[in-house]
Amino acid sequence: MTLLQLFQWLGHSAVGIFMQQSTYAFAVVEMVHLLSLAILGGVILVIDLRVLGFGLKSQTPGGLAQELKPFLAGSIAISAISGILLLSEEPIKCYYNPAFRLKMLFLGVALVFYFAIQERFLLAPSTGPSALLAKWASVVSLLLWLSVGLAGRAIGFI
Amino acid sequence: LLQRFCQWLYDSGIGTAIRESIWVFPIIETVHVLGIALLVGTVAILDLRLLGLALKREPVSRVASGVLPLTWAGFAVMFVSGFLLFWSEAAKSYGNPAFRLKLLLLFLVGLNPLVFHFTIYRRVGEWGALVVTPLRARLAAVFSLTLWGGIVCAGRAIAYFQK
Repeated sequence: MTLLQLFQWLGHSAVGIFMQQSTYAFAVVEMVHLLSLAILGGVILVIDLRVLGFGLKSQTPGGLAQELKPFLAGSIAISAISGILLLSEEPIKCYYNPAFRLKMLFLGVALVFYFAIQERFLLAPSTGPSALLAKWASVVSLLLWLSVGLAGRAIGFI
Repeated sequence: LLQRFCQWLYDSGIGTAIRESIWVFPIIETVHVLGIALLVGTVAILDLRLLGLALKREPVSRVASGVLPLTWAGFAVMFVSGFLLFWSEAAKSYGNPAFRLKLLLLFLVGLNPLVFHFTIYRRVGEWGALVVTPLRARLAAVFSLTLWGGIVCAGRAIAYFQK
């Protein structure tokens, strides 16, 4: 099955048909998507800004990331599910939408960057060369998530 | 009078410029959502601490003083970008039910921390280290989370009513 076929299948699935026919489903799911984004963005911002020296200074970056991990994971799950529901409303249009493709690319990179790379820096000692690397990683992370947001907004606009 | 003021804003040079340019409006919108993420994200962390769900080992006052600068930064970004968005749509927003609801909720959400601060928070030294905080503190947290959720939803709904 190609990716295009998967998107076609999503559009013809029961969920897709429901999303296309309902008057309010799209609006409601979009609000849920936004609410989970507020939490997701908030957690990312608080962690990255902590690494850069702003905010909850009584916590170490690693400890803060550990404490907020359930909320990060939960908001990623909710935004992914609501995002797929939104996608099922018009999958083929999204498939060919450059903003959608760009957003998926940035999102993939941002997630891999956080869980594969940044989490390790967060636990590193807060002085020495690793601290500087951690700061740069946070700047990269903020830029990646900003790109996800900008591309996401552009989907509805192109 | 308010309506005239809204119309005047709407017709002004800056309002028209934001409305008629292709990219400026969605870019301000994106910045607005980022400001909301910072504001609501930090408020939610404090609320979740009051409910005993996050940062349990940290005293409430330390969480509050830690997130507060970020909350204000998020508020500034949200307020400025929100006002610019309103500027370009003022005449349409004036009668928009979602916009009116949002302003009402914003007023209430501003009242909540004031009441909280001048009542139960005064004695934060006595209960700030507890995992389960007093009922009134937990109530304030539930109000805050509910109201902010409502504000995000009403804010999104503005665009659905904007014709």
